[in-house]
Amino acid sequence: MKRNFTWVGIIIALVFALSMFGCAEKKALVQEGASQDQQIAADKAAKDKAAREEADRLARERAAREAADRLAREKAAKEQTAKVEAAGAGEDAVKDIYFDFDKSNIRPDAREVLKANADYFLKNSSASIVVEGHCDERGTAEYNMALGQRRAQEAKKYLVNLGVKDSKMKTISYGKERPVDNGHDEKAWAKNRRAHFAVTIK
Amino acid sequence: MKGKYLLMKRKYIPAVLIIAFCLLVSLAGNVRAKVYIDVDSPTFQLFPIAVCDFVAVDSEMGQAPGSSLAEEISRYLMMTGYFNSLNKKSFLDEQKEGEPSLANITFSDWSVIGADYLLKGNLLIKNGKAVAECWFFDVVHAELLFSKKYNVPDKEQKNLAKSIASDILFALTGDQGDFNTRIAFVAKKGTKADIYIVNYDGLELKVLTKHQSIIVSPRWSPDGRFLAFTSFKDGNPEVYIKDMKNGGERKAASFEGLNLCGYWSPDGQKILLTLSKDGNEEIYILEVETLKLKRLTSSYSIDVSPAWSPDGKKIVFVSNRGGSPQIYLMEADGGNIKRITFEGNYNTTPSWSPRGGRIAYEGLINGNFQIFTIDEEGNNLLQLTFGEADNESPSWSPSGRQIVYSSRTNLKSKICIMNANGLNVRVLNENNGNLTMPMWSPRLK
Repeated sequence: MKRNFTWVGIIIALVFALSMFGCAEKKALVQEGASQDQQIAADKAAKDKAAREEADRLARERAAREAADRLAREKAAKEQTAKVEAAGAGEDAVKDIYFDFDKSNIRPDAREVLKANADYFLKNSSASIVVEGHCDERGTAEYNMALGQRRAQEAKKYLVNLGVKDSKMKTISYGKERPVDNGHDEKAWAKNRRAHFAVTIK
Repeated sequence: MKGKYLLMKRKYIPAVLIIAFCLLVSLAGNVRAKVYIDVDSPTFQLFPIAVCDFVAVDSEMGQAPGSSLAEEISRYLMMTGYFNSLNKKSFLDEQKEGEPSLANITFSDWSVIGADYLLKGNLLIKNGKAVAECWFFDVVHAELLFSKKYNVPDKEQKNLAKSIASDILFALTGDQGDFNTRIAFVAKKGTKADIYIVNYDGLELKVLTKHQSIIVSPRWSPDGRFLAFTSFKDGNPEVYIKDMKNGGERKAASFEGLNLCGYWSPDGQKILLTLSKDGNEEIYILEVETLKLKRLTSSYSIDVSPAWSPDGKKIVFVSNRGGSPQIYLMEADGGNIKRITFEGNYNTTPSWSPRGGRIAYEGLINGNFQIFTIDEEGNNLLQLTFGEADNESPSWSPSGRQIVYSSRTNLKSKICIMNANGLNVRVLNENNGNLTMPMWSPRLK
């Protein structure tokens, strides 16, 4: 028993001695490189300071530029709103019309919407209009391209009959490629079978 | 004068007789060679074929390349849907070097494992070249159907397998198959789409256009040199023609309103279009060189999706003149319009088989789109696809024996190939985006 303790003691002492030796060696290495490190650190601090100052300057300039841009944008937006308000109730006054599945005829409920849209276009003679025809996701992409075109043309024709100038309007079909509702049920489809009126006021 | 002529004639009688005899024999030979198995018959059974590993003739090479060549050939044969390539483990016969001949093959060893056909070959890869020699046997009749030597650069070993598979198919069906073809299709991510191209074997998928826009209706020219399509790249739907050789792209139709691309004429000189410039969607012929236009239809209805018959004499198209979209035929000058579909109330996207006779289209049935074929007279209607997915946009392979189509559910979208009888469905490409409008190329070089 006693001898065992002695052995353990010796081993512990040995391990301790070894670890001390290792530490001493590391310390020596650190001391050797110390003066060189100090020099590098000083250089780095100087460089960092310069870089920080440069970054600060750039940030200040950017902030100033952004503020100017923001002001310009806000001004432009205000002017646009003023223009639209002066013209009428704004693009909100122009509403989409909806169609039945695989149909391009103007539904009775769409007639009133078209009448209101026509009134707005007549009041705003500077407005140019792109009539977009859209379809729901069912059916062939190609046939729907044609059907969308037909919807746009029917809507345009209706507006022409209400007195809107033909030359102010263009038609485009997006087929089923640009749904407003990505759902796969009749509620979504009904929203997607539409003619949309994109208005630009000069 | 008359007597002299008679005399001359008599002098030539033996020669004429010999020539006539030779002609008869050669004709008889031709006729015999053309007795192919009718793969379209409803009673057709898959060809059971044993494809042996190619014997490596160069001893340094080892077995691996010969074995992978055999596997590639099997893979291509299986793609046709006409073959059942037997498992190598069942083969009783030992691989032997040298030329296999009728004398040194024990045909009963092959018929007992169920093989009707047998392919044996040698392969030598040396100095950057692959030389394969193969022998194709009819096991049942114990005869050699063909033997051929193939010589390709080492890098094109894949083409070696394609050529051999193609020759085997030709020997049995009289048709070289669709191995050297590609399929163009539209892949949509969100609101942006582009045309992609993939090989018949599903390899080498790459993007062709960089429009990032709405893009529809890709159509190959009959020589495979050009691809026409409709793109919204510049805001409006306009027809573009892309040169597949140099990548150049030009606009072929940009009239007001809709410019929708139809099929090329079989001579490659004209393209069918759907235009709305005259106030209503009508079908036109555009001469590709001169850009001269000719209007074909004039009805108040929608006329769209025109495709030529393989002889260029007729055009199939979609019209809703009867109240719902249906398939119609007309002469190539726009005359003699005739409706051919009467089942269902939504039949669109027709495509004419290159072998003539049948037209594939998609129709709405029980709430889903499915692929159908029908003959030119409007008879013999066949439904090819079934199930919960929408199966759309059929396009025939050049052999007229396969059809590529898109298959989509709300979650997944696939480009698939099936045989013209609706069997042997193979997925060519699949993702959770939106893959549509596949169009099969002609045979490419």
